[in-house]
Amino acid sequence: MSNAFDPLRDQLLGAAQALADGPAALPEILAGIVDDVDHALREPLEIFPVCHHSPASALAMLRRLREKQPKVVYLELCEDLQPLLTELRNCRLPVALQAFASELDGFPKESAPLSVIAPVTESSAEYQAIAYALDTPGVELVLVDRSTDHVFQWQPGAGAHTGSGEPEEDLHGDAVGVEIGDLRPRFAELEEHLLHHGRVRHWSEWWDQYVEQPLAGADHDTYRQVMTMIGSLFRRLAPHDTQRFGSDEDRERYMWTRIREHLAATGTDPADCLYLCGAFHAASRLPEVGSAPGTPDFAITPRTGTTWLYGLIPSSHSAIEAQFGLAPGSVSIAATTWQKQLTRLRLTPFRLDGQKGGKKARKALPAPVATDPPVTDHLTGYLAGPPALDGLDEEELRGWCVDIVRLARRNGYLASTADAIAVFETSVLLAGMRGRARPTPYDFQDAAITCIEKDTVPGRRDVRRLCEILLGGDRIGQVGYDALPPLARDVYDRLAPLELNLDQRSIQRALLDLAARPELAPCSQLLWMLRYLLPDQAVRPIMGSRKLGEKPIQESWDLDLGRHQRAIIELGYEGVTVEQVLEQRLRRDAWHPDATAATALKAVEHSLLFLRSPRLTDELGARAVELLAAERTVDDAPDVLRRIRRLLGHYRATTPVLPAWCERFVTAGYAHYCTLLPTAFVEDDTGVRQVGAMLGFLFDLESLALSLGCDRAQLEIAVRQSHPESPAKLALLWAARHQLGDLSLAELRALVDDLLGNPLVVPAVPQYVSGFVQALEPVPRMAPFVVETLSKAFGQLPDPVLLPWLPTLITTLRQHAAELVPVLTREAGRTFPATLAAIDGWTPPWHARRTPAGVTAARRPPAGPVTALLAAHPASTDAAAGLLGCAGEWGTAHDVPEGGFAGPLPLLTAFPGTAGAVEALLGS
Amino acid sequence: MTDMLRAPAEVKYADELDWLESIDDGPKPFSWRLSPKMVRLFILGSERADGLDRDVEQKWYGDRSFVERSIVTLASDRGLLLIGDPGTGKSWLAELLSAAISRNSTLVVQGTAGTTEDHIKYSWNVSMVIAKGQSRASMIPSPIMTAMEGGVIGRFEELTRSTSDVQDALISILSEKYVSIPELDDDNIVFAKPGFSIIATANSRDRGVNDLSSALKRRFNFVRIPVVTNKKSEAEIVRFRTEELLRRHNIELEVPPTLLDVLLQSFADLRAASASATSDDERLESALSTAEQIGVLEDAILHSNFFGARALTAETLASSLVGSLARRSPEDLAILNKYWHGIVEPRSKEQSGEWTGFLEGGRQAIATLS
Repeated sequence: MSNAFDPLRDQLLGAAQALADGPAALPEILAGIVDDVDHALREPLEIFPVCHHSPASALAMLRRLREKQPKVVYLELCEDLQPLLTELRNCRLPVALQAFASELDGFPKESAPLSVIAPVTESSAEYQAIAYALDTPGVELVLVDRSTDHVFQWQPGAGAHTGSGEPEEDLHGDAVGVEIGDLRPRFAELEEHLLHHGRVRHWSEWWDQYVEQPLAGADHDTYRQVMTMIGSLFRRLAPHDTQRFGSDEDRERYMWTRIREHLAATGTDPADCLYLCGAFHAASRLPEVGSAPGTPDFAITPRTGTTWLYGLIPSSHSAIEAQFGLAPGSVSIAATTWQKQLTRLRLTPFRLDGQKGGKKARKALPAPVATDPPVTDHLTGYLAGPPALDGLDEEELRGWCVDIVRLARRNGYLASTADAIAVFETSVLLAGMRGRARPTPYDFQDAAITCIEKDTVPGRRDVRRLCEILLGGDRIGQVGYDALPPLARDVYDRLAPLELNLDQRSIQRALLDLAARPELAPCSQLLWMLRYLLPDQAVRPIMGSRKLGEKPIQESWDLDLGRHQRAIIELGYEGVTVEQVLEQRLRRDAWHPDATAATALKAVEHSLLFLRSPRLTDELGARAVELLAAERTVDDAPDVLRRIRRLLGHYRATTPVLPAWCERFVTAGYAHYCTLLPTAFVEDDTGVRQVGAMLGFLFDLESLALSLGCDRAQLEIAVRQSHPESPAKLALLWAARHQLGDLSLAELRALVDDLLGNPLVVPAVPQYVSGFVQALEPVPRMAPFVVETLSKAFGQLPDPVLLPWLPTLITTLRQHAAELVPVLTREAGRTFPATLAAIDGWTPPWHARRTPAGVTAARRPPAGPVTALLAAHPASTDAAAGLLGCAGEWGTAHDVPEGGFAGPLPLLTAFPGTAGAVEALLGS
Repeated sequence: MTDMLRAPAEVKYADELDWLESIDDGPKPFSWRLSPKMVRLFILGSERADGLDRDVEQKWYGDRSFVERSIVTLASDRGLLLIGDPGTGKSWLAELLSAAISRNSTLVVQGTAGTTEDHIKYSWNVSMVIAKGQSRASMIPSPIMTAMEGGVIGRFEELTRSTSDVQDALISILSEKYVSIPELDDDNIVFAKPGFSIIATANSRDRGVNDLSSALKRRFNFVRIPVVTNKKSEAEIVRFRTEELLRRHNIELEVPPTLLDVLLQSFADLRAASASATSDDERLESALSTAEQIGVLEDAILHSNFFGARALTAETLASSLVGSLARRSPEDLAILNKYWHGIVEPRSKEQSGEWTGFLEGGRQAIATLS
């Protein structure tokens, strides 16, 4: 059968023969691409090949839609994103369609959350198709690509996201990007070869020069044939054994199966349809491809049980470039080219009704042109000549040159009109040298760098960046209020009293004077919740804090919600209100497999701060009790102690009775820590700090625990069972025994003195002292003793022992400054003299107490009636002294003044009644 | 081959330039001998796709856009300033450009602290002035003035090393394009002919020595030449320059590719070490440029040729590397010693081959120097 492409095929085969030393597959490839084009054109359902972010594709699409006005448009886009498309009209493009799943069923749990995004820009063919189909009555838009669920089913081990530094580039987060018409060489050598021979620097420039511009004004047939051919070329040169290629083929099978299903279900004539897909897929020759009935179908696997949520998130040109590996600025340049071509060709693009950021030209479409010309060869012309480029647009270039100089000046460059002239001249010369009739934006950029960039960059941006800004700049999309999920809308509504423009992409300062305007209190509450839920930069308190027992008076906040719209929208996937999401998060934290009693208490605290829901607080509290009872380690004891103290303080101040969970927590904690105490004392893994905190819990909450029915004997037995070996823990144990009345201060002091006196133990003394320091928390009344021990240690320890220990002591004290340092300094202040002069005459109180007996005897007891009375009736005093083990002597009676004491005596003689009654009572 | 020790580019590539000129049908700016496209072809070499009858060798390795921007600048009104680290091939590119454009790359002023305005403008032949008085005949034009008169490219090497007032003498030359000679009564202005331009080079490390005035900066287009870090192109450069050297010295010696790899790898390692060093003491004084690599190889080749067994060995290469890079004692030696023990030694155990000899030679050289 003769065919329009036969001459071209022959010519290419001839060329392949001429290059006989080339690879053996060359004839097959060259003839194959012509066959692929031929095959695609024969398909009764019109295949429209596109490339992403290609204004030429968009233009061709726009013209074709006006001309053909298809009844059904099939689009290569995840089929489950369809309901979102109409929401695009509420947004300012570029935005991205997003599918999001955090609760996974059928995927490994650790890969959550899964997220797929498909960015949509205005200058894309798919947007033209969407806008045409949604706003033209009687036209159906069908998305045919695999669902987002399949994206992950077919992608084992999705790549990890490495966050980029610029916030604009990170708009998409760690989502997997899907795009319509990804067209790029699949192996690096081919791309390098094309760039090298095309004399261009990057792929976007190559594409612009060799495909985009020649096709900008091309008719539909040329466009279609050339795009299919390029798709076929890259397809044939792609490595076929990769997983990606296999997945692409499966997608083609999937899409055509869906198309055939739709055709069969609706009975549409394939001739009235248009199938918009990447050029790569247009050149497919798989047996499952084609609209003819009877073509084998692809067995579509069912989706997993994962629940997918859908929404729109803002996107930006730079985010698209970063995600899809395009040259910086290329999407912006594409957008500018699109606008320029529209003006040049006097075309009105399709726009969705109500679309932000442009005016809607609502004109009825002209009647379709019903032409179906026979297939003729448009490829030869394209392949034979050099790329036909537009002529020099002097006006535009001049505008660029003037603007770049102005922009450079504003950014600190010493640029002048002379530079504008030089940039113009250099651009033209560079373009001429690179074989182009007119300078491309890339030539212009090079020229501007050559002429304006000197040895240093004076400001924040260099000339390259300025050119990017000039040639379109980064455009950042915004999701309109109506397209936001309920949660995000709710947030905006509730923050409305602040009277700030939260859409603005800059930091907004909110000042909340809650005393003067109490109606702002709910805003403050919401901001604190957002602070808890959102990333750090979105809302940031500058002044004010939220803690238990604090009542806010004034707060000031830095709000950057405009730039973090995605975060709020993604929050919307988790619930309908912020409160609900917060509750879920708190529950999730408390019921996490790794949760501990401390985390549950933290959740309790947050629930009190943010939610004020007694039911939830009680549940979380109950969970904390549960977790505590099940815990086998005491690593979190310090944290638990701190939090439960704070919570008890809060409840005591605000409620008449403690909540039930609190009581249970205390009793359970008392029993739990008593049980674990002996082990904790012995185990090497448990630190002194943890044991200290356990003792702190036991002693501090003892009265409460005993009032709730705990038994003190349990604690006493636990302490008696503890036999620590490490010096620090031994010191802690002594402190505990002291607290329990088992060890007197004098005995304790004797123990320490023994340690200091024993040269074999001296090196370990610092560790004992460390133990005593840790005992400050559980046994605060030991403070004088700790000060004494520390002073002794400083005074008596030899330098080789003391000096290495000092840093450890300081770091310990620094680490636990809040608990330990105030007690210690207060006590030290009481013990040591305050002035330098007083030091000379100062004797440490512990030395004073230990002065020899003779000295004590020399000290006269104070004269007075009490002394006289005791001296007159010594029996009780002697008995007490005997009990205490004091062998004292009574002073002589000469201390009693002649005539007795004044004072109460005359009173007693005058009114003897009371004394008589006492006497009678004592039975003397 | 001429009897010059080092022939300038226009002499060395005279054949090629003649041939290119004969086939050049592109538009030539001013009095250029080649069209801009041909200049680019001459510098970057030809490819099969160019469809030429003979191959043109690549002479300068680097990004194509640097060359294009340089050529275009020379075709415009401004001077060209090539700026970059030492050893990145600035002067070589300048030489190639002037050879291709005006077939004369020798009109060079070398910028030093002692360069005066006379070196840029003109000076007088004192005895002739005494004998015949001041006239054009007794005037000695500077290379720049000669370039102006001839409508060719003048070169100014190391522009930032000359003092600011001397640099500023260039301002009027670059903007008015003439030099006046007030000593003469008539014929006292030398106008630049079309085609005149200046290629200056400046070392970005010495930028602070005599910073350019902004008036002069305005009259130059800056093209920054980065250090080559791409291993493939660096290997090309080293191979190209060494072959040239061997040819020049008539040395029949083969440089084994494995040895070239060792050299490139060791420079890459040392560069990485320098980049991660926190103080100057931990960093080699050398810039570790490609030129330095060529120097090391050149040294090793000459040594093996004249003193060795007429074959390049890893030992010689190692001792040449140590000898060239150890400039400060003990800092540089300590760094090299660390490198040899920390990286070369394990590598010689893993990969053996040339690394074993390299390890041995380096050790000995370090021992001798310390």
